Formats: sequence, structure tokens, C-alpha cells
Amino acid sequence: MNSSSILTQLIVGLSRTMILFIVSSGMSLILGVLRIPNVAHGSFYMIGAFLSYTITSFLGEGSYSFWLGITLAPIIVGLIGFFLERGFFSYLYEREHLMLLLLTFGFASILGDLVKLTWGAEYRTMNTPAFLQGSADFFGLPIPNYNLFLLLIGPVIAIILWFIFNKTKFGKIARAAAVDKEMVSAVGINVNLIFSLTFVFGCLLAGLGGALIAPIVNISLGMDHSLIMEVFLIVIIGGLGNIWGALLGSLIFGITQSFGILIWPQFGIIFPYLAVVIVLLIRPRGLLSSTW
Amino acid sequence: MKFIKNFVLILLFLVFAEFAQCADVIKIGIVDTYSGPATTFTQDVLDGFSLALSQINQKGVLGKKIEFVTRDDKFKPDIALTMAKELVLKENVDILMGTISSASALAISDFCKKEKIPFLVTFAKSDKITGEKGHRYVFNMNENTEMAGRAAAKVLSKKNFKKYWIAGDDYEYGHAIANSVFNHLKELNPKVEKLGETWWKVGETDFTPYITQILSAKPDFVIVATGGAGMVNFQKAAQSTGFNKKIPFYQHTAIELSTLMPQGKNAPEGVYGTANYLFYYPATKENKEFAESFKKKYGRYPKSGALYGYITAHMIAKAFEKAGKVDKEKFIDALEGLTVDSPIGKVEMRACDHQIMLPTFFGITKKSSEYDFLIASDIISIPAKEYMPTCQEVLKLRK
Repeated sequence: MNSSSILTQLIVGLSRTMILFIVSSGMSLILGVLRIPNVAHGSFYMIGAFLSYTITSFLGEGSYSFWLGITLAPIIVGLIGFFLERGFFSYLYEREHLMLLLLTFGFASILGDLVKLTWGAEYRTMNTPAFLQGSADFFGLPIPNYNLFLLLIGPVIAIILWFIFNKTKFGKIARAAAVDKEMVSAVGINVNLIFSLTFVFGCLLAGLGGALIAPIVNISLGMDHSLIMEVFLIVIIGGLGNIWGALLGSLIFGITQSFGILIWPQFGIIFPYLAVVIVLLIRPRGLLSSTW
Repeated sequence: MKFIKNFVLILLFLVFAEFAQCADVIKIGIVDTYSGPATTFTQDVLDGFSLALSQINQKGVLGKKIEFVTRDDKFKPDIALTMAKELVLKENVDILMGTISSASALAISDFCKKEKIPFLVTFAKSDKITGEKGHRYVFNMNENTEMAGRAAAKVLSKKNFKKYWIAGDDYEYGHAIANSVFNHLKELNPKVEKLGETWWKVGETDFTPYITQILSAKPDFVIVATGGAGMVNFQKAAQSTGFNKKIPFYQHTAIELSTLMPQGKNAPEGVYGTANYLFYYPATKENKEFAESFKKKYGRYPKSGALYGYITAHMIAKAFEKAGKVDKEKFIDALEGLTVDSPIGKVEMRACDHQIMLPTFFGITKKSSEYDFLIASDIISIPAKEYMPTCQEVLKLRK
């Protein structure tokens, strides 16, 4: 182990963090504003990946089809989210969380089966676009260009999120609604609209995460299950409903994993979970302040 | 009165129809995973099997036709066992076959041992099936981890790599294949040493952090023990990091179509792999005919599963003919030591442990001008007799 391997491991860990952040910020948003513990969030991520595959394979491999894939897929996922929110979730906001949890659990199964009906049970693969193939050398160790691209996209998304939630009227209202829904509606604001938009936005982020990861993984049924666990843990250690908590949680998760692999490769997979346990022992309510 | 008469007639007709059907067909029950990613492999077994049956049924076996029914076990051993019981008790099947999951195969095998039903395993790779858990009623129609490991070790022992790294999916198949390759390699070439091991969870999506870690450890060669979807995922990560150009690595089934075709022309070159079937090798008339008729019927090239299915159908037909009647015990006696013609030449069902004797092809991935995906080059064919564990070794495990 030397300084160059530590540096590459850090960069690779950070790029992994980006996908986790994009997906978990969406979940945190929905959890914070709408108070829905959305188990189906992983399904939106999976649908995003499949849609991006379909769009790029339909248009042929080229850079423009890649860009279309990562923009159109999240939008379609957002639309699906819109219909689910208006059609189902909006009727259950006054009920207990357990009801919402059960409903999202049901949707996770239904969406999984719909994906199977639409795309079949076989796994799909797509290639990274030509301009992002290959790798860059960091002191003799390779970092794939696509990981560097993710490192650029992540902060861009973070800045957009910061802008929306701190500088726009929508963001300010959404934050207020997260704290006190009755008060917000009492001053004459259409809370339903805010809720709907927030849900769509959260789904859009899940879809974007799926579309971004699609070129480097196997797009398959079950990719939602492996992710949802990690995302839930990230949201919990970060502080429920706090987007910056999601970022912090993702950083902890991604980096402990990649350093864990470097330090003790045989048991690398346990490190992020160990970090989660330590965080929860020290700060049981999460690292940053929760909106709950 | 007329109603009762009609009713009795219909009933009699149904009984006779059932009876006539029983007498006319040999019924085979297939339990396998037909949902989820494993379908990529199991569908080929089924298609290879039906292709062979369509030829066999033109003549018939003992004047009967062979028919089959399928059940989806959803990759779960408990469902597999329930389905197997249902097929035997309700559908009255004569023979069971199937399962890609080793856990399911072992569960069904145990049931078949008690019920005395022949069970032909078509894709599960655990060496326990015909090894320590082997018995009279179970047959393995594909290679197992022990065989794959021995075949790979045989070739690798002749190369000049000294420092090995082991990496793989953290489940039974991963560990079994990695241990089998490395332990036999160490026996054949005591100079090799193990630098370290890396294990990731099954279904891991991002291999980049693992690859950069292995690169910084600087081994001469890496044994990568991935299965299923992990095969493609690892190769994609190897391609994007240029791993294959820096350190050569081996994966069982790396050169197989199921791994290379989904990646198109973008798969990594220079990856070492073993496989039991390649539709373009050996370039014999039989293999070409098989690949063409499979492609004509199903619109895709056959993968190794297709070969297992094809051989299984022919073994069943030939064994019943040799037995002379539809009798389970006679069928087993006939199947022991039976030889059939296959697209890759004659294959034999070894009598002592019920393990099929298949050659293994060792090759290195390379771009091809003929196909829009990579194929294997520098292929070495290792005959079954040269790498399979001996009868004594296997039977010792059963004690």
C-alpha cells in the first residue's frame, strides 16, 4: 500500500459515493417532506436503468443517445412517480407511516414484476459512450473515465439541489412543509402541489441514479434490492430527511467501502456496515439534524 | 337414466384416454429457474433438450414419444423440492431433470434417492452432487467446480506465473471454484504462491475499487471466481480500467457466449477462460449442424446449456432403448457407462460416479472479424480422462 494506491482508492470511492448520493438524496427528500419511507425508491432506480438501456439501444450507440438516455429516463420515471403519488399516496398522508410503508412495499413488488413483463428476466448490458471509455492513469493506477465523469456530475447535482431548496420559492415552501404542514396550508399555499412536485423530483433523482449507473453494471431484476438497503442506511445515518445528511452518509458509505477493500480485501464488504453501527452508537438520530 | 349412461360413458372414455396416454409416452419432469437472471442459462438447456427431442420423437423410443413438463423453482431450494414432489406424485413423471441452483439440485437429489426416481442434473455446478452426496439415482450432465478447477490448473501450471491473487463472489460457487483452481495448481506447480484474496458480495455492481486494490498489490495473475451476472460485470470493469492489459486473469466460462455476447465488441481481450461448449469450436460437421439447426429454430447461437440439454435428451432416449422397457432401475443400469454422439464428439456417462465425461476448452478472449462479439482464441481441448478426478477419489468422498 502506498500513497498512489490510497489516492486512487479515494477517487474510486468518491465516484461510487456520487451515485449513492443522487439516489439517497431523492429518498431523503421524499422522506423529509412527504414522510413516506419509500421502499419502492429502488424500483424507480431500476426502471431508470432499464429505460436508459432501451433509449440508447433504440437510438444506437453514440454520445447523443447517451445524453438523451440520462435525461429522458429520469423524466419518464418522474412521470410514473407523479401518477403513483396522485393516484395512491395522496390518499394516505393522514394515515400512519406503517400504511405508507406497506403501500410502497407493495409497489416495489408490482413495479418489479412490471419490469419483468416489459424487459424480461434476462439481464441487459449497455456500453459506456465512446467519449467516456478507457481510463486515466493516476501514478500508474487506472481510474475509468466514466468514474471521473460521475465525479463531475455528483457535485453538479448537489449544487442544483442546494439552489432549488435554498434559493427558489418552491424549495423554501417544501422545507417549511416538511417542518409544519398545517401551518403552510393555513397561509393559503397548495400543499398538495408541493407534495406532488417533491415526490416527482425524488423519483427523478432515483431514475437519474439508475440511468447513470446503467453503462457500468448489468441491468437486471434485483438491482433495486441490493441498492435499497444501502440507501436506507445512508439516509438513517445522515439524518432522516436531510439532503446534506444523505451526502455525508454516502461519503461515509462509499469511502469506508473502498478503503476497507484496500486494508482488508477478504472482508472489505463489512466496513461500510461497521461504520453505520459506529455512527448509530454515537449519534442514534443521525449525523445531521433530522426533519422528523 | 340417459344422463347416468352418458356420464358413465364419458368417465370410461376419460379413464381410457388417461391409460392410453400413460402407455404411449415417457414423461420427463423438468424443475429449473425460469425467472430471474439465471434464465439466460436455463432457457438454453430447455431449448437444446426440445431440439433433440423433436428429432428423437420422429422415430420414437420403444414405440413411445418422450414428453416433458416444466416447473419454475424461482432459484429457491424449497420451491424446487415442492415442484419435484408434485411432478412425481401428481404428474407421474418417469424421470426428473434440471436445476441451475446447486442447493435445489441437492434437495431434489435427496428426495429422488428416497423415492428411487432417476434425477439428471443439467446445470448445477457443485461437486457434492456426484461427490460426497452422490448415489444411485442422481446423474450430473454438466461439469462441476472440481472439474473446472482441475482443467484450468492443468493449463495454468505450465505458465510462468508465480504470484497469484484470488478474487470472487462470496458464496459457495465462488469459493469452490477458486479453491479448486488454486489447490490443484499448487499440487502441479509447488512454486506458485498466493499473495492474497478479495471477496465481494454476490450481485456487486461496481468492481472498480476491488480492481484498483488488486492492481496495487501487483500479483502476476488473478483467479476471478465470479458466476452468473458477475461474469459480465467484472469483465466490463476490467475493460474500463484496462485491468486485462496490466494483469492477466482467469474466469471459468470467461470465453463462453453467455459472457461475451452481451458485451459486443467492447469485451476485454486477453482474458483466460474455460468452457464446455463453443458453437464455433471444434469446427466439425456435427458441431456446425447443431449450431445451425439451433439458430434456425431459436434465432440465437447455442451456449453450453444447449449442449447439456441436447446430450441429456439423447442419453435418456438411448438408455431407455438399451433398457428395453420403461423401468426406472433398468434405465439407471443402462445409463451407467452409456456413450452418445454429441456436437463435440462422443461423450460418456461414467458408471462409477454418474458424472458425465466432457472435454474442457481452454482459451483466451480475442476480437473476431466474423462475429460482432469476442470469441476464444488459442483453444486447447483437454479430454475428460486427463483432468477428471478418478473413480477412487470420488468414491472415497462418499464414505
